[in-house]
Amino acid sequence: MKSPVIDTNVQPHFRYNAEIRKFIDPAYKTRAIPDVEQQWYQAPGGDYRADLYDGKYPGSIPETVARHLFSDGGVDYAILNPSTRGNVADYLLNSRICAAVNDWLVQRWLDADVTGRFLGTIRVNPEDPRGAVAEIERLAGHPKMVQVGVPMQSREPYGKPMFEPIWEAAAAFGLPVAVHVNGGNGVDHAPTFAGHAHTYPGYAAFMPLNYFVHLATLIVEGVFGRHPAARFVFADGGYDILTPLMWRLDTFWLSMRDQTPWVDRYPSEYLADHVRFCSSAFDGPTDPADARRWMDFTGKSDLVMYGSGYPHWSTTSPTDAVDGLDSEQREKLLWRNAAGLYSLTRLMEGSDA
Amino acid sequence: MRRRRVCGVDELPPGAMKLVAAGKFGVGVYNVGGQLYAIANYCAHEGAPLCTGYVGGTNVHNPDRPGRLEFVRDGQIVRCPWHQWEFDVTNGRTLADSSRKIRTYRVDVTDGEVFVTA
Repeated sequence: MKSPVIDTNVQPHFRYNAEIRKFIDPAYKTRAIPDVEQQWYQAPGGDYRADLYDGKYPGSIPETVARHLFSDGGVDYAILNPSTRGNVADYLLNSRICAAVNDWLVQRWLDADVTGRFLGTIRVNPEDPRGAVAEIERLAGHPKMVQVGVPMQSREPYGKPMFEPIWEAAAAFGLPVAVHVNGGNGVDHAPTFAGHAHTYPGYAAFMPLNYFVHLATLIVEGVFGRHPAARFVFADGGYDILTPLMWRLDTFWLSMRDQTPWVDRYPSEYLADHVRFCSSAFDGPTDPADARRWMDFTGKSDLVMYGSGYPHWSTTSPTDAVDGLDSEQREKLLWRNAAGLYSLTRLMEGSDA
Repeated sequence: MRRRRVCGVDELPPGAMKLVAAGKFGVGVYNVGGQLYAIANYCAHEGAPLCTGYVGGTNVHNPDRPGRLEFVRDGQIVRCPWHQWEFDVTNGRTLADSSRKIRTYRVDVTDGEVFVTA
């Protein structure tokens, strides 16, 4: 019997960039809005799966995405997490862009979906905490919205207190917060501490690892301690570096606990209750023979959820994502970890998938 | 293990520590607010001479204070000079992880003399 599969990382697109103007607040209709794609660091060979260069925007036609994921790929449920247009300096405009993306997602992808297999993400703008909370409250009741989405790019780490009302609102509705490298063109810090990479490999190798800055501050500044229901998903992977960096946090905490006494356990002990990752093609050992043991370091077997990254060029099939894992690890990665996080367990166990 | 004299009780006032040559690494006898305690001079982490560390208090979380920290247990906490682990002199436990602890020893006072059994 085939294992159920939940794809936790799918990026749907508008059919064309200007389509967003059909969904945006009329008061903002004439504003300049960046395209969804970043204007630099293009992947050699194209940003998208090679067969998606068919004249339409990749990932923009629900029926095509459904066919690729559900019929061809064996996926049972797909969590859609659209990009917005970057950290647009006018944070009120950016919040309207997020709302337009959400309304589009609800109308074109969730409410119109006849398969019942698409689930959604409420995109919010963390640079507008009040607006972000309002957007969560506006849409959290939609039965197919299963998480809140924010960009990886941020001008402050997400453990900082100005963001806490957003995480609190998400937790109050039982929604995990997915942090994902965003598209568009915003006012951002450079993707590395030493500035801008010159090439796509330099960018792509480093950028997902920025999640650790968010993770470390969420732990150390006490967000997880104060909000037992707060959950974060790091959608770009990066769990390659989880073990050495958690070792550092644990070690520093033993020495400097008195500066952050609200951290009342080893920092690594927060992971199981608060943190998940989407699988990524760039993480994991080179030799699949090492995968099973490697996956158990720092309890990653319970943390990583399958995410295809569709329609990107590095999209991973369920089969490739579990290469080298034992049967229990496979089940966890392909669906159990996600079913638990998104409360889909009953749905999945009741299905005949 | 044997009972040995440390010093006269007046030589060990509150806040003071006497290092006794006992065992392989020595034993520190502390006066914490009038009560006497003894711990191994050997950090549970990497074996540093723990009793050469500063004695002070520690911080606990107090959300009602402006700095959200409150300084407590002054005179009861020794910090390892190597990596700053905090140990409670009264029970030998590290504050971060109470499962990691150092040895403690019995102290008694007889006829104005302090004795440690180590």
